[in-house]
Amino acid sequence: MDLFRVRQFPDSVESRPVPMSVTEPASLNKPRSKSFYFWLMAPAILVLAFISIYPFFWMIYMSLHDVDIGHVEWNNFANFIKLPSDTRFLMGWVLLAQYSAMCLTLQIVIGVFLALALNGTRLEKILVTTLLMPMMMAPLVAGMVWYFLYNGTFGWYHWLLQSLGILGPKSILASSNTAMIGLVLVDVWQWTPLITLITLAGLKRVPQDQLEANMVDGASPFRNFVSVTLPNLYPVLLIAIMLRFMDNFRFIDSILVLTGGGPGNATKILPVYLFEVSFKFFKLGRGAAIALILLVVTIILGKLLVRVFDRQQPSKV
Amino acid sequence: MASREVIQYETPLSRAFRWFSAVFLAFYVVWTVLPLFIMFMSSFKDLLEAFKLPAVGDWAGVTVFFEFTPTTKHYYELFARLGFTTYLFNSLVAAGGSAVVSVILGSMCAYSLSRIDFKGKGDLFFWIISTRMAPVVAVMVPLYWIFRQLDLVGTLPGLILAYTTFNLPFAIWILKGFFDNVPYAIEEAQMIDGATRFQALRAILPLVAPGIGAFVVLCILFAWNDYLFAAIIGSGGAKTLPAATRELVQPQNIQWGQIMAAGVVTTLPMMFLGLVIRKYLVTGLTMGAVKE
Repeated sequence: MDLFRVRQFPDSVESRPVPMSVTEPASLNKPRSKSFYFWLMAPAILVLAFISIYPFFWMIYMSLHDVDIGHVEWNNFANFIKLPSDTRFLMGWVLLAQYSAMCLTLQIVIGVFLALALNGTRLEKILVTTLLMPMMMAPLVAGMVWYFLYNGTFGWYHWLLQSLGILGPKSILASSNTAMIGLVLVDVWQWTPLITLITLAGLKRVPQDQLEANMVDGASPFRNFVSVTLPNLYPVLLIAIMLRFMDNFRFIDSILVLTGGGPGNATKILPVYLFEVSFKFFKLGRGAAIALILLVVTIILGKLLVRVFDRQQPSKV
Repeated sequence: MASREVIQYETPLSRAFRWFSAVFLAFYVVWTVLPLFIMFMSSFKDLLEAFKLPAVGDWAGVTVFFEFTPTTKHYYELFARLGFTTYLFNSLVAAGGSAVVSVILGSMCAYSLSRIDFKGKGDLFFWIISTRMAPVVAVMVPLYWIFRQLDLVGTLPGLILAYTTFNLPFAIWILKGFFDNVPYAIEEAQMIDGATRFQALRAILPLVAPGIGAFVVLCILFAWNDYLFAAIIGSGGAKTLPAATRELVQPQNIQWGQIMAAGVVTTLPMMFLGLVIRKYLVTGLTMGAVKE
């Protein structure tokens, strides 16, 4: 068998040293005068500054004050001091982590499996297009439709779950033990196809010669998947995970419709709690304090994400 | 694709996998389509017919789903009585406006970012992308306060500006990748022939036009599907379709037929647009990190 083992080529294309270029002018492919480009950039940067940096300073200012409509008062960091003893704030993080973990696990497992099942089949194109449909839907409308399906008296999915003996007469959203699962299923329904799409794109890039070489060595298809396909998919999957993770922070539309954080506080993940504090009770100062913390966490996660992106495309930035 | 195929030999395991995956696939397609199908059908049902369900465990009774006399009265009511024409218009203006503003400003900015290097470019870039990734609710707290002072709450310009918070960074980030693929040499050649920098930029626009068009559509899709900004910033004067759909849910009698019809009205155009830009969808939805 040794005859067929792939030889390691020490100077593969990537590692071959690039000859120092003899004819590299000072600024090939980059313009010398920059002012034109700065002017072109200015409007976008100004608009972006107005809708992101300016509000950011307001957010800091608001988080340090009691903010009511027409009344702003300094309150000695009370907004922040109260947070560690606010159980709904702390639970919000726990529930957000639970929700994201459940969504991501299911989506990755199902999504990757679907991609493997679809890859290279005759129906791939039409089926992928079919699977795309939920992603085009407004999350709010998706929430409404599922609210209808889950309904305890006339919902078809409720009827199905009841008939299968999985659920009692109580709707999945009405019990604090199962409500979170109901929300996860909606997210899985809507966004698993994205993972499938990303994985399919990744599968097309798995080097076929490696698969062939592995097979010549007598590897089974399963072994081939574990030792060739999966390592090659890893970078794409990482991107998919990060993207979905950020979106779980970003979008709460369907949750607002389906449970609004209830029953009790069973599904009050942090963004939902923030929404409630800010736009139901209009405690904008407190809301700003929570928002600030949420934002800092997101920015840290974003930094990680961008690092992953850069590793994918070293030419970027 | 033939050249990419690897001839796999069958083992019992791989045969089992093939069967299982085929069954799973069929099941998954049904699970994906069913809610959409039920939404679509229910929008044509009278209220009582939409509530009809077989008894628990009565599997043969599922046929009641198809026992109804189709009616278009929900659609008629939405547009004739409930003012959905206005909401449709609001959605179109808000989504379209923010998409056009974002892509015009964004492509100018992306073009420049792709052509020059300067100190702090990496930081600028990170700031742009983090604006896009910030949770909508968190962004909305200060934005709502500012917009109140500027009297922008409940107006279409306010909503357009709000949507620009996620569409502009998206456009810059993704269009930069497009301009990166156009060699600067083309502009250099133009300028040697006597074109100004601006004329040189105009000369390369046709090369990126398809991409720019696709991302206008994608920006429309993001803005159209938004609910949070529409509910808070647009509340009052600038109600969009999702916000209006949400308001059909009244505590007493929920008009499911109307809600489903509103869902269809909100969803169908976006599905169509999604199909039109299918080629760019993965690139767009993964912020350019994955290309098909």
